[in-house]
Amino acid sequence: MLLKRICWVFSLVLLASFAAQAAPTIEAGKELFTANCAACHNKNMKDKLTGPALGGTEERWKAYPREDLYSWIRNSQALVQAGHPRATELWNQWKPVLMNNFTGLTDEQIESILLYINDVYTKKPDTAKGPETPGDQKKDSGNMWLFGGLALILALLAFALMRIVDNLGNIARVQAGQAPVSRTLVQTLTTKGAVAFLVFALTLIFGYKTVDNATRMQRQQNYQPDQPVAFSHKIHSGVNKIDCQYCHDGARRSKQSVIPAANTCMNCHSAVKKGTQSGTAEITKIFASIGFDPIQNTYIPDYENWSDKQIEDLYKKWIGQEYMAANSLTAMNDAGRTVVETQWEGIVKALKNDSNGKIQGPIEWVRIHNLPDHAYFNHAQHVSVGQVTCQKCHGPVEQMDVVYQYSTLGMGWCINCHRETEVKFEGNEYYKQYERYHQELKSGDREKVTVSDIGGLECQKCHY
Amino acid sequence: MNNGIWVSTEDLNREASFLQSAENEFSVENIAETDGKWSASRRDFLKLMGFGLGAATLAASCEIPVKRAIPYVTKPDEIVPGVANYFASSFVNGGDYCSILVKTREGRPIKVEGNTLSSVTSGGTSARAQAMVLSLYDIRRIQHAGTVENGEVKKLSWTELDNKIKGQLQLGGNVRFITNTIISPTAKKALAEFTAAYPNRVKVVTYDPVSSAALLSANEQCFGVRGVPHYKFGEADVIVSFGADFLGTWISPIEYARDYAAKRRIKSLDGATMSRHYQVESHMSLTGSNADNRILVKPSEQGAAICALYNEVAALTGGSGIGGPALNDKAKTALKKVAAELVQHRGKSLVVSGSNNVMEQVIVNKINDLLGNINTTVDFSVLNNLRQGNEVEMARLIGEMNAGQVAMAIVWGANPAYELPNAAEFKSAFAKVNTRISFSSNMDETTALCSHAAPAHHPLEAWGDAEPKTGYYSLQQPTIAPLFDTRQAEHSLLEWANSQNLNRQDPQPYYQYLKSTWASEMFARQSKYATPTAFWDMSLHDGVFEAPATPRTVSFNAGISLNSGSVSQPGSAELELAIFETVNIGNGQYAHNPWLQEMPDPVNRTVWGNYLNIPVEWDGVNNINGWKGLNDGDNVEVEVKGRKLTCTVVRTYGLAPGTLAIALGGGRESGGCGVGFGQNVNPWLPIQGGLIQYYAGDAKVSGKIGEDKHFACVQHHHTMGVQAMGKEEGKMINADEKSIGWKGFQGSLTDRSIIFQTNLNELPELAEKMAEFHHEAEHLNQQTLYPDRTDYYETGLKWGMYIDLNSCIGCGACQVACVSENNVPVVGKAEVNRHHEMTWLRIDRYFYGDFENPKVVYQPMMCQHCDNAPCENVCPVNATNHSMEGINQMAYNRCIGTRYCANNCPYKVRRFNWLDYTTADVWPSNEERVFWVEGEDKPYYADNLVRMVLNPDVTVRTRGVIEKCSFCVQRIQEGKLTAKRENRAVLDNDIRTACQTACPTGAIVFGNLNNPDSEVNKARKATEVLAYKVLEEVNTRPGVHYSAKIRNANEALS
Repeated sequence: MLLKRICWVFSLVLLASFAAQAAPTIEAGKELFTANCAACHNKNMKDKLTGPALGGTEERWKAYPREDLYSWIRNSQALVQAGHPRATELWNQWKPVLMNNFTGLTDEQIESILLYINDVYTKKPDTAKGPETPGDQKKDSGNMWLFGGLALILALLAFALMRIVDNLGNIARVQAGQAPVSRTLVQTLTTKGAVAFLVFALTLIFGYKTVDNATRMQRQQNYQPDQPVAFSHKIHSGVNKIDCQYCHDGARRSKQSVIPAANTCMNCHSAVKKGTQSGTAEITKIFASIGFDPIQNTYIPDYENWSDKQIEDLYKKWIGQEYMAANSLTAMNDAGRTVVETQWEGIVKALKNDSNGKIQGPIEWVRIHNLPDHAYFNHAQHVSVGQVTCQKCHGPVEQMDVVYQYSTLGMGWCINCHRETEVKFEGNEYYKQYERYHQELKSGDREKVTVSDIGGLECQKCHY
Repeated sequence: MNNGIWVSTEDLNREASFLQSAENEFSVENIAETDGKWSASRRDFLKLMGFGLGAATLAASCEIPVKRAIPYVTKPDEIVPGVANYFASSFVNGGDYCSILVKTREGRPIKVEGNTLSSVTSGGTSARAQAMVLSLYDIRRIQHAGTVENGEVKKLSWTELDNKIKGQLQLGGNVRFITNTIISPTAKKALAEFTAAYPNRVKVVTYDPVSSAALLSANEQCFGVRGVPHYKFGEADVIVSFGADFLGTWISPIEYARDYAAKRRIKSLDGATMSRHYQVESHMSLTGSNADNRILVKPSEQGAAICALYNEVAALTGGSGIGGPALNDKAKTALKKVAAELVQHRGKSLVVSGSNNVMEQVIVNKINDLLGNINTTVDFSVLNNLRQGNEVEMARLIGEMNAGQVAMAIVWGANPAYELPNAAEFKSAFAKVNTRISFSSNMDETTALCSHAAPAHHPLEAWGDAEPKTGYYSLQQPTIAPLFDTRQAEHSLLEWANSQNLNRQDPQPYYQYLKSTWASEMFARQSKYATPTAFWDMSLHDGVFEAPATPRTVSFNAGISLNSGSVSQPGSAELELAIFETVNIGNGQYAHNPWLQEMPDPVNRTVWGNYLNIPVEWDGVNNINGWKGLNDGDNVEVEVKGRKLTCTVVRTYGLAPGTLAIALGGGRESGGCGVGFGQNVNPWLPIQGGLIQYYAGDAKVSGKIGEDKHFACVQHHHTMGVQAMGKEEGKMINADEKSIGWKGFQGSLTDRSIIFQTNLNELPELAEKMAEFHHEAEHLNQQTLYPDRTDYYETGLKWGMYIDLNSCIGCGACQVACVSENNVPVVGKAEVNRHHEMTWLRIDRYFYGDFENPKVVYQPMMCQHCDNAPCENVCPVNATNHSMEGINQMAYNRCIGTRYCANNCPYKVRRFNWLDYTTADVWPSNEERVFWVEGEDKPYYADNLVRMVLNPDVTVRTRGVIEKCSFCVQRIQEGKLTAKRENRAVLDNDIRTACQTACPTGAIVFGNLNNPDSEVNKARKATEVLAYKVLEEVNTRPGVHYSAKIRNANEALS
């Protein structure tokens, strides 16, 4: 009886949820936005991308019937041609960028999108949250206080004991009829024992520091060099949520994670031709590297043979044109000329260097994560097999405008992880061969199998 | 002696110097002393320490250099940085052929593997094929087209060169091509086009560096087919070879070796069968060293021996005798027995000869005919195209050139100015040709005489095809963009022929040409693929396309009369000189490849040069001495036909009485790093009936006139388990234990077990003996103090190797493969002389049996990955230790160079980097004594081009660390990762070591010992008790297993 009732209630809920499909929701809007709009409109709804920022759309179209907004979204040019005032205004502001037609969108779907836009626009900016940064540093400083306090107490104790010893000695002397000896602090501190202790302590500290610094030699934790292109992982990975392995496509299948080739950048940047922060300054570097004409939207066929002058003319024209458009200028002004000049110099500096005397050709990034030649590291093993997140070693890259080396990349750091990390034994036929471990796990003699249990600490896992 | 096995004369004589060299892991000299400048005093020590501290401080304060990460601009789809790509291609050099897979990393070829899809080579390779990748990165290659002036190429653009040559062609006159064998059908088509473009003016003259012209002529006479039949070594029960080195150099050795070994593998103890192989020869060739019985004849007696065998066979089969020259009695008696056995195995026997005398080859054909072997083991339905040369044509050409009838000569892949016995004649005639063009990629002796150089691509940069056997096609594809401004030779040809079929607009015109040839010709020979494109794609993917011809039979031309008067006649001279080809250098074609130069000759184990092989003599009492009292490394003057050369001698076993021997290929004059090693003996070769004979009938040898102070023979380096008479003890002790001075521990009590061998008929006895031995060893090994860790290795993977000594022919392909895979440096002759060679895998050669005509066992020896490794216990810094997968690991960055491990290794397989051989560290002063090619401005490995050959997955070692075989751990790790990513167990095919893939006979098997179904376990179990571990009784518990060497000798002969 009860069961029947539950079923009935349940099916009602189900039905309701189906019905809700038709009614506009934020979730549906998000899905539709990602599928249709996100390629040109910024996800944060506040900044321009290829198309305008969508935040406040409803506000701006308030003066007109709702249907006008629908038809604008479905076919914007038709509305422009019809002479709709808001449409004409927008077109004048954004031409020649054409908005795609979305004739297939229903009114409900458009409402969903608008709901989603409003939701994002009015919400507090949600800064991308990376995985928890380990609390090591905090814990360390906490320990420091603890140790400091302990040291102070011990020092006081030692001092008190010394006084007691002195006093007892003096009492003994007085009892023996001798004059009590009183030592000054300086005398106390220069006794043989004290000096010996000092030497011992200094040797210890010096030795520790030497070894500590020596192991740190050639390590580059927190290394944060300037890169030829001011590429922001924060924008790409944090804000736009592009998957790490979309660009670093070697990570799952190769020892190298692979710095993406310029043509990978062009997958998006043939459409996204201006950056949210830097405008034309940085993205034009990609165009100049690969030979993309942003004005004609085509690749230049014989770009290899272009002279520097030709390249300069093209990209200066592009930068200038965009500057004028952005500032609604009809003729170039001095400020604009400076912008063009500075950005062009930036391009030359980024792309021309000693090893490549030309503007054409690869962007030479500064390598941040360097392992010594005798250490072998394989990304695929860790990413595909071990399913380790990128952030585990590289830190919260999605929050970094300029990437820095997060981990020490020292051997101790590697080893530690191999000691602690549990192997994902289940679900991979490969690990079937460790029969003994499987038996032990089954019988409960073993809690887990760590990387070190299957040989993860052996020299020749990384050195060969 | 140990099991009746010895390694050399010194061993037999138990010489003090040998004892000493066996005692010491490395050269007797101390490197510090020999360097001169390193007389280390206290002051020096302090100075160095001060400098060291200062340098360290300086280094610490220096900033780390900025490193760049440079991505592609447009990433090719097929390349993932860090992942290797394999391309099927072909190794073709004249008549040398191997179907290969080329491993490339980020677009540069780094390793050659065999292609298992080819039924000609079946995945096997040769040392020559393995080494081809190094010659790609030869900095001495000709880098652009131009005119040749004083041994230099003065640059011309290709258009300028084309115009010049086309201009010359317009002037008329005869054009002659000088080539080695060409096996490419499309290249031949291009040649035909060229010939058609200049009608009646063009001729192609082909000769082979080592000639088989007589074989071709004989087959033409006997069977009407000018070609080499397919010899089925795998189907013959009895093989008789008259000086044909078919496992090493003769025609198609990779294929023959595979078939030969398959017939000789012991598949089970009960009812084991093997073929029987007789080798009739005058010096010990690689093939001879593998033979069951060797019959010694002088070089000039080859003809007599062939006649003798013929007469015996004829007598038994009803043929008519032909008489023949006198033969030594021993050989005569032996051949009588051989004949009887051959007749017993009619239709299942095979007689071959390496002779270059037409009548001798005719008689051999007749023997095969009498034995019913024609159309069975000698199969003419598939012709072998690897030898097409005829030096008679060459002589005719010299005449033409002298008569001024040749206006243009184009040298393609040949080097007649070095390779021909009459090179001097050739040179003077060649000078009379107006336009002399070379396609050679090196400034070799002939190119230096040319007027124009049109350097061709390296095979790894070029398109091409090959037809090694009729109907067996093979494609060659570029694996790297041309490094220099070179051009495909065929492209040059078609350009000069003004060919309409060459699409000059295409970026790769010859590629299109090749493709259309395949579409029009090969495509028609199959029905599997419907479109030429699909056919081309699959053929290119597989590397091979096989459309064997329908079987056909031939019959012996009855009209041929055999004439024993035309065979070579025994000489009366006191000394004869056999002149032979080695597996590594050939007739000098490979002399400029340092990997091949440093690969020891399998039989003599000498490197960097050709040495005069002299016999050893027993004085009848105690000692075995070198002939005329000569010692290894002594220089003598040898005179043949009035031409004198200074040669260095090496004492050798198995020479026929009154015979000395020397290899071809030494004394190159120009073109690369082989210049200055050995002597060019080509001018000594006589020409009879227009054909080159590979022996000198009369040689005079002086006494010792000096010494080669860098004499380099690795035979006594890293010797193990040799017994000798202890001076103090007055009894036999193990030589390498003498230094320990502590007797009574395991191993020193017993004969050391390194090689087990027997004859097939005594197999049960050996099995019994070995069972007993295993039992005894097991008992001894239980008396150990070390904890037994068997269960530790039982879970997961445990790597092991099995080497079938019965299949190993000693060809050395594995050794070069190992060098290539593991970045093992070349150290040069002087360093080898100091025992500093770095090879991780060596092939030990052991003799047994009769001193005058001993038998040979080859034993590939590398780190045995002992579970109780003696090296691991003595390392003070734990730089070498054991993994749970059973690998003896070596951490270079931890090694401090005490060399205790090398000293404690009973197998002597650890190598120490005495110098900075790969110029891997930062101190230029360390580069002084490393391998340095004469005339270069930096050491060999300091050049960035050469370093492109390095395997990026293997650390390049610096000075001062020990290294050794790692079981190709980089391949193991890669294979495991593949399995993990594919969510499955590791299979045998995931991981194959470099030596294993290189082996043409499948002698090496590697795999997981914990998997009962793995190939390695199956192979080991098949031979049961015959499988053993070297020094099993000392409880090192190696991971490498060997099987006993079994021969099928006819004991009535010895």
